[in-house]
Amino acid sequence: MTTPLTLTPGHRADGTSLLTVAGEIDMSNTSALAAALDSTRDRLILDLTAVDYLDSAGLSVLFAHAHRMELIAPPLLTSVLAISGIAELTTVHEAPPSDAGTPQH
Amino acid sequence: MGAEESERVRPATDAGANVSAADILATDVFAADSEVGRDLAVVDWAATPLGPPAEWQQSLQTAVSILLSSRFPMWMAWGPELTFFCNAAYRRDTLGRKYPWALGRSASEVWAEIWDDIGPRIDTVLTTGESTWDEALLLFVERSGYPEESYHTFSYSPLRDDAGQLVGMLCVVSEDTERVIGERRMGTLRDLGSDLSVVRTEQEILAFASGQLARNPRDLPFTLTYLFQDDGRALLAGSTGIPDGHPIAPLTLSSDGPAAVWPAAAVARGESTVVALAAPSLADQPTGGWTEPPTEALVVPLLQQGRAPYGFLVAGLNRYRPLDDGYQGFIELAAGHIATGIASARSYQAQQRRAEDLAELDRAKTTFFSNISHEFRTPLTLIMGPLEELRGQLATSDARVREELEVIHRNGLRLGKLVNTLLDFSRIEAGRMQASYEPVDLALFTAELASVFRSAIEKAGLVFTVDCPPLEEPVYLDRDMWEKVVLNLLSNALKFTFSGSITVTLRAEDGGALVTVMDTGIGVPVGEMPRLFERFHRIENTRSRYNEGSGIGLALVQELVGLHGGTIAAESSEGVGTSFAIRLPFGTAHLPPDSLTSAPESPTASSAAVPYVQEALRWLPAGHSTAAVEETASSASANASAGEPGPAAPPYVLIADDNADMREYLTRILKGADYRVSSVNDGQDALRAIRAHPPDLVVSDVMMPRLDGLSLVAALRTDPRTASVPVLLLSARAGQEASIEGLQAGADDYLVKPFAAAELLARVRANVELARLRTHHARWRTALVDSLQEAFFVCDERGAVIEINTAFTDILGFGPEDLPYAPIHPWWPNAETDPDAHRRTADAFAGLLDQSHGSYTIPVTHRDGHRLWISATFNPAQDPESGRRVIVGTFRDVTAEHHAIQRDSALATLSTCLSQATNVSDALSGTLSELKGLWRARGVLAAVFGRGDAPFVTATGAPTLWHELPPEQRQTLTDLRERPLLTPTADPTGAGILIEHPDGPLALWIDLGSSRPFTSEDQLLLSLLAGHLAQGLVRVHQIDQQRETALALQRAILGPAQLPQGFAVRYEPATRPLEVGGDWYDTVALPDGRIGIVVGDCVGRGLEAATVMGQLRSACRALLLQDASPARVLTALDRFAAGVPGAMCTTVFCGVLDPGSGRLTYSSAGHPPGILAHADGTTLLLEEGRSTPLAIQPDFQRPEAHCTMPARATLLLYTDGLVERRRRPLSAGIDQASEAVHQGRDCALDELATQVMSHLAPAGGYDDDVALLLYRHPGPLDMTFPAQSQQLAPVRSALRSWLAQCELPPQTAHNILVAAGEACANAIEHGHRHTPGDTVRLRAEAFVDNLHLTIADTGQWKTPIAAVNTHRGRGLALMRAMMQQVTVTPGPAGTIVDMHLRIV
Repeated sequence: MTTPLTLTPGHRADGTSLLTVAGEIDMSNTSALAAALDSTRDRLILDLTAVDYLDSAGLSVLFAHAHRMELIAPPLLTSVLAISGIAELTTVHEAPPSDAGTPQH
Repeated sequence: MGAEESERVRPATDAGANVSAADILATDVFAADSEVGRDLAVVDWAATPLGPPAEWQQSLQTAVSILLSSRFPMWMAWGPELTFFCNAAYRRDTLGRKYPWALGRSASEVWAEIWDDIGPRIDTVLTTGESTWDEALLLFVERSGYPEESYHTFSYSPLRDDAGQLVGMLCVVSEDTERVIGERRMGTLRDLGSDLSVVRTEQEILAFASGQLARNPRDLPFTLTYLFQDDGRALLAGSTGIPDGHPIAPLTLSSDGPAAVWPAAAVARGESTVVALAAPSLADQPTGGWTEPPTEALVVPLLQQGRAPYGFLVAGLNRYRPLDDGYQGFIELAAGHIATGIASARSYQAQQRRAEDLAELDRAKTTFFSNISHEFRTPLTLIMGPLEELRGQLATSDARVREELEVIHRNGLRLGKLVNTLLDFSRIEAGRMQASYEPVDLALFTAELASVFRSAIEKAGLVFTVDCPPLEEPVYLDRDMWEKVVLNLLSNALKFTFSGSITVTLRAEDGGALVTVMDTGIGVPVGEMPRLFERFHRIENTRSRYNEGSGIGLALVQELVGLHGGTIAAESSEGVGTSFAIRLPFGTAHLPPDSLTSAPESPTASSAAVPYVQEALRWLPAGHSTAAVEETASSASANASAGEPGPAAPPYVLIADDNADMREYLTRILKGADYRVSSVNDGQDALRAIRAHPPDLVVSDVMMPRLDGLSLVAALRTDPRTASVPVLLLSARAGQEASIEGLQAGADDYLVKPFAAAELLARVRANVELARLRTHHARWRTALVDSLQEAFFVCDERGAVIEINTAFTDILGFGPEDLPYAPIHPWWPNAETDPDAHRRTADAFAGLLDQSHGSYTIPVTHRDGHRLWISATFNPAQDPESGRRVIVGTFRDVTAEHHAIQRDSALATLSTCLSQATNVSDALSGTLSELKGLWRARGVLAAVFGRGDAPFVTATGAPTLWHELPPEQRQTLTDLRERPLLTPTADPTGAGILIEHPDGPLALWIDLGSSRPFTSEDQLLLSLLAGHLAQGLVRVHQIDQQRETALALQRAILGPAQLPQGFAVRYEPATRPLEVGGDWYDTVALPDGRIGIVVGDCVGRGLEAATVMGQLRSACRALLLQDASPARVLTALDRFAAGVPGAMCTTVFCGVLDPGSGRLTYSSAGHPPGILAHADGTTLLLEEGRSTPLAIQPDFQRPEAHCTMPARATLLLYTDGLVERRRRPLSAGIDQASEAVHQGRDCALDELATQVMSHLAPAGGYDDDVALLLYRHPGPLDMTFPAQSQQLAPVRSALRSWLAQCELPPQTAHNILVAAGEACANAIEHGHRHTPGDTVRLRAEAFVDNLHLTIADTGQWKTPIAAVNTHRGRGLALMRAMMQQVTVTPGPAGTIVDMHLRIV
């Protein structure tokens, strides 16, 4: 079965597109993420607060849209984003650590 | 996760787009196991009485999910038709090829073949609601395509539906097949090996083996043992389970017959063969322990070391078991036992034959001895016959001729008597004394014999009394023998009696006759009485009429009296006399019936008496015997004047003159006056002759070449041994001066030529008599010294030997004629050829000069070159005449004792060496160094010509290979190989011998270095030692083999260990021979996922302990499966152990570990504490929950303790052999073990086990057996999954939980998760692209400070090309950034990614 992933499109109060992602992103479901990103135009806030896992396949999708989006990422993903270099192409906001999205397993 | 269904985004590629709610439910019911669950999901449940899973009751769903999630083998049956379910473990262990067919079918259909066994049990469960328990039940299951013998221990428990009704049953099962069959085979092998210590005949060995093989008709439905004959045929020598002569059990097999039932030719080459048994005859064939006959048989050779097999064993095969390695190994071990038995029986037989050969040799020796005696008698007869003729013819010729004829005659008689006596002895010894007993008037016959001696005794001036009144009944005698008895006793009495009487009496007494011969002679000293009748024993230095005698007379008398059933006793007191008493029984009851004759002959003394009397007469003083008159007449006066008894030899005069005419003249005059005379040419010759035999007088000319008369006198006077020899000088020079010069030089008298014969005789006579008076004391001393049995010598201050006696010359071969012997004495061992012996003698000699007294045993060389050992003692003394310090010593020849002691001690040393050896090569190398020391050799070399290409070399020096030896040494060893066994060979460089080694002939060479004598004694010793070595090697080899067998069994019982992840175990037997013990370890997978851990130690050693261990281990397993409480398990085991002989006092550590949480519950029955080594370097000893060893306190409730293993802690359980050492507290060993565990913190667990074992091993290896068990928490994670991207999430989930068990910081754990995820994603890509359907394996292992990840796939690693596949390149970069070390190893079979991370 495919890795569970929830994509919730929405808008911020200022009208900016917001895509809230929850779950894990790996090669089995990047196409869903890519489709969701492709369906938006203009600037986009991608909220990864509730993402437990992001691999290089997911990063590749993000790179394609890096120029027009900002990221909200939990501390756990900081190193992945830094190492991949995407942190240099886009703005990464750190999600508050007390967020309910912190993985509990 | 994934419970929220809202907004689930399904990728378009995913197949299961339209799945019903029922399917989802079913999937969840079966979700606990992906594989079996999938197969259960496809079952058409609607067609079963259970209906579709969606409609299943909650109780059924629960039961199914418990079943599927358990790692313990289980199956269950539910509903009216008992529909079958099972889990993965059951599929793997038991179901075999019936999977997945069996799923959803009726249990009675699935297990139709065993339904008769299990059906009634299931009925019981379903009707009573009570569980069943069966241990090791035999079931024939068809899971591999044939009915298979299998054993299962299982429990059926009732299952209830939601309403509480009994609707099914759950079976928890563990398969015991390996254990049951292993123990059965072990029993057979143990019994086969149980009685080899008693060597028996080949037939008995085979009968014994057949008896043991017949007791295992399940593994061995029938057996046939064939032995090869010399002609190549094989004979049936033993069989079980089949009648001899059955079509497949022919009594004889020819090796090359094409139609032979068994492949004898192939097995003769040492090959094992499986033979299919022809189907048509199957009906007639034996079935053994089964109802159907075997379809195949295994033919294995009975291997013989280094040669063609003895024969072969045909074993009918159990048709219900596959012929796997274990089965084949069992049959080969059994054949090995039979072969060993045959080997020892044949070796015993060979020894028997050797003993018989020796006995034959002994008989041959006796025959030779008596033949030789016979051979003497023929020439003796041919001497004595013509001699009698001559005596008659020359009776009137001159006295001299008659006298010499008499001498020849007397000595001929004497020799004849000696030969006859020896012949008698050899006959008695061989039991061939042809006695013929007849009734004899003992009084008459004895008186007759005695009268023969009357004249001789009376001539000696003794009173002879014969008091023999007639007896009332005859005595059965062999006349010849009795004659010898009486004559010997009488001649003995006469010999030692000088005054008084000799008396012979006869009386009847106590049902027999008592004959006594009594004398008033010198008597026998008390100390000599016990040896009086000993053969060849002579009482030395006693006064007797004659000093000759063989010392066998009395011994013969005793033997002869013994043959008559009589006894002889002697009483004697010194100076008073001796009395011999012979008792002969009346009648014939004591005599062999076939030796009796009834016809009495007239009692007359035979001619045998003549030599006795003749000899006795010769002892008597001159004048008493007409035969001796002429010989002794001239010395009668001298004898009388000396007043001494003993030989009355005429005075001996030595003449030294260079003029032959003068020599002849002097000789004629002196001989005419009855002097004994010899003559020499000059003073030099005279000196030598005098030293050899000092004369009574020397008559010497003054003027002589080389050494003149005056110098001769001077030389004689300076030598203490000749100083007193009187010298009469003859000179042509008249005048006072010449005479004074001569007398001043020390001459006793001086005669001027020409002289009258009468004057010469007068002077000679006067000087001889004067000298005899004067030198009485010196002569007495000389006689005394010469009579010593020990060699006697006198050394001067410089160590020169100046005086010796006869025994000295007898022992060493050096006579008095070459005195003095200056050091270095000629009998010293040669300094060049035998430096060691030379040094020993030189050391002893130095001691002789330096010390006041002492004794030495040293090697010396006889004049003829042979080696002797003498034991010498010495004391200082002062020469009373010269006042010089001299050394007086004596010695004995101890060559025989020396060699005997040397042999004994060498054999003892070798025995010790062999008994301490633990294997054949130790035994051999130990022996070689013993041999090297014994012969002080340069080196000892042994080559075994075994099966390998090159002989195997053992040497006392550095280890050597055959091709490294010098060619001449190789040649020497190869030559030895051609020689007969145990026959030594020697040359100047060394000695060698060939012996049997278990692997083949062994050539042994002792390199003596320089040319040194290797004597025949050395050769004898070498062959003895070699024989000993050969036997020792065989024995050690057997122990070796038995130990290997025992060890194989021990390991078979312990294994095959399907160890849970995270465990490592070791079993190490003790190093000494056969000391396999009763230590064990065990892990038991419990139904609830926990793991039972057991380490135990039975008292005792060997197979018995191993058997007890096997029972306790099985019991402990079963108990743990029933009730996972260590305390209750041990309590129950107490009761079990009380009923098993030898199980008392076993110590056990029993624990139950939850591998998820690390929680350990444990109880210890007197076992050393477990060691828990924490990651932070601290150690916790598991000392709680302790109580006494097993079966000490039955019904005692044992305590239990708990602890939780933190992450990366290591648990060490062990038996006391690991830590217990003599003279060291146990705690020291435990500390050492803890330290070893901490030291191996960065090792994989298996390597750690090896390190701990080697770290704690004592220098000589473990002297007790050791079982060891290690667990590191958490155990490694090992997953194999299909190369599909959908697998990534579950894999990550499992890895995430495992990392949580490792208690890592969240960021570290996440980094590892990402790195592993990238590697897995990569592997999946390869799998997809190249070989879809392949699998990926992920293994994660935590060390104390390190973490190790391996991801292996079956595809080609993709070198990242940034332009084409950017994100794969990123993946590798992520892996390298997250982990400390990443290694990618592409290979033909796939790619392996290794990653390490230090986690401190």
